[in-house]
Amino acid sequence: MWIALVISHGLLAFLLLGAMTHQVVSVWAPVRARAGNFVARFRAVGSANYVNAVIVLYIATMILGSVLYTDYRITARLTLEQGHYWKSFGAFEFKEHLIAIGLAMLPAYWYFWRPPLDDRHARTRTMLTTLLAFIVWWGFLTGHIVNNIRGLGT
Amino acid sequence: MSRKFPTFAVTFAAVYAAVYYFAVDDNWALFSYGPAVGEWTLFTRAASAGPTMYWYGWIATSALAAAAAGLLACVLPEHIGKRIWPDFAWLVPMCSIAAIGYLLSGYLTR
Repeated sequence: MWIALVISHGLLAFLLLGAMTHQVVSVWAPVRARAGNFVARFRAVGSANYVNAVIVLYIATMILGSVLYTDYRITARLTLEQGHYWKSFGAFEFKEHLIAIGLAMLPAYWYFWRPPLDDRHARTRTMLTTLLAFIVWWGFLTGHIVNNIRGLGT
Repeated sequence: MSRKFPTFAVTFAAVYAAVYYFAVDDNWALFSYGPAVGEWTLFTRAASAGPTMYWYGWIATSALAAAAAGLLACVLPEHIGKRIWPDFAWLVPMCSIAAIGYLLSGYLTR
């Protein structure tokens, strides 16, 4: 069951990463003219369209992660400690705090992305999105690294 | 939607992030969990066997404090509520993240 949960958690995190990355790129480097190549089309997405998906995916990924965390605490964490993988260990500790803090930013994130977008709150929107993107990227990479150290189903 | 929602949302994000830092640093967990024995206990009591997890308790403590602060901010007179700067919603969490990063920086040098 744990393996199925880890894979589901990873897939949800992957979807979240995609949505979040699209949004943060389109916020920092919006395309003004008609999008031509792949990169321009990547930047040209409607930023506001991702908000609900990001919130649902963030919460779903976090719920699965919270369940998995109990198993991590009594299995994978021991591997990290016994192998003296302190940087990975610290990175994963940091991840749990980032995810917890990001959760509380979601109501504000949702509100400031609500159409019609208010130009007075453009900076707030941009920074909330950027911080959430940082959290999601850190969480994804750290989870991936720790999973590689421990190995799936070992 | 209520005009008070942005006041609540900004206050919630800021207070949660600030309280969360202190919850981690001083272990203010509302409850604890022992994953090896499946045991939930109130506050920071250690599990009867195996490790004890406080993370869920830190989240609960912070959410409770933030919800109370958010509701309080909503009942403030409107001219005071409007003074709550929207950028607190990301600025306080960013500071809290930096502070927690500092707390954990020892792992980078071990």
